[in-house]
Amino acid sequence: MIQLGIFISLLIVGFLFGRIAEKRHFKSIVARELASNSLVAVASRFPPENENYEQHLVVGNVVVASDYFKSAMASLINFFGGRVTPFESLLDRARREAILRMKHEASLLDAKFVFNVKLETSRIATGQVGAVEVVAYGTALTKPAMHVEAISS
Amino acid sequence: MEFENRQPQEGINTVRENPLLVFFKLLVGAIIIIVVLVIILQFSGSWIAKKVPFRYELALMEKVDMEFGTTDNSAELEAYLNELGVRVAQALSLPETMSVQVHYDSSEVFNAYATIGGNLLFYKGLLKKMPNENTLAMVMAHEIAHVMHRDPIAGLGGGVASMVALMVLTGQSGTGAAGNVLNQTGMLTSTQFTRKMEEAADKAALAAMVNLYGHTNGANTLFELMENVAGDSAVPNWLERFAATHPLSADRAESVVLQSIENNWPTDGVLTALPENYSLWLRGNL
Repeated sequence: MIQLGIFISLLIVGFLFGRIAEKRHFKSIVARELASNSLVAVASRFPPENENYEQHLVVGNVVVASDYFKSAMASLINFFGGRVTPFESLLDRARREAILRMKHEASLLDAKFVFNVKLETSRIATGQVGAVEVVAYGTALTKPAMHVEAISS
Repeated sequence: MEFENRQPQEGINTVRENPLLVFFKLLVGAIIIIVVLVIILQFSGSWIAKKVPFRYELALMEKVDMEFGTTDNSAELEAYLNELGVRVAQALSLPETMSVQVHYDSSEVFNAYATIGGNLLFYKGLLKKMPNENTLAMVMAHEIAHVMHRDPIAGLGGGVASMVALMVLTGQSGTGAAGNVLNQTGMLTSTQFTRKMEEAADKAALAAMVNLYGHTNGANTLFELMENVAGDSAVPNWLERFAATHPLSADRAESVVLQSIENNWPTDGVLTALPENYSLWLRGNL
């Protein structure tokens, strides 16, 4: 009985706090994406050839933890099979956040573009603690003169 | 070439659904599957196990060479318990192909149990609380009835089958919280079977008491003692009734009265005293 009580309490706490955190995060992600869409980050490996650019590696990295409710629901889905929807939103947040952080680094360099954007995912937690790391990296292209200005300022 | 970053459309990589509703559906579905599976496996496992001849149980226990209880200073007590066991077995009409062996353990545990091979183990904690032979005979008859009904091997067969299935299934859903809940569901379902066994053993034991002493006086004392030992529980009765491996002591006492009335068995009668040296035998094992 005590076990069941603890389980239900943790589920409620996990659900409430997890949902609040997720809603806030998505809201922040959308706002920052809208603000940073002007800095183009694409997967293409072929930048415009008509101008000279300096190249810089830019990296965005994020670790997002699953909450108790998501983990419990995922283990139940594992029982039946199918889309692990609680983790889909977790990964969507992580992916978008990593790209935003990468873009943030690129914007600090006053980059015009980020090319060859790649994403990598890895599970960094074991046992009952579920957390995922997403790394976004790419090549930021800056104009040589502007780059010098950016550093000197 | 022109490049642009458009705002991604929401709802492609994520699904808009009510997670609580989905969770509830999944949990109920999983619980139903576990309950049905455990019921099937308990039935089939115990049915197959009961087909194993009793002599195989004896042969298995011989091979395992398992020691029961404590043997120091308990020869007289064990002899008495075995002699009572023979009388109770006759009163129960235990088939000739079956036999019981009573062992004694000097631990202060209020318990007695029957296991495979017709082995019964009585703990000192229970024996020293016995006020008369009738009450002790009720315990003995209950345990021998388990042997007669092949409950130990049936419990082992059904239990092993459902445990393996639960381990495989809940292993699939990880060692996490949901896995634990499903495991508990399986265990709770199993307890429903053991309770049925306990009720059947109580019925047979009470009939044996009448055969042995001509009345059922003293049988209820056992359940009163059990209730005292268990003490008051904070858990409501209906829940305790559902979750316990044994029926509630109060329910068992009531069954004794009802069964006695149904069969016109006298509930009053002279109680048989325990042997004179009974308490000395127990003290000898302090």
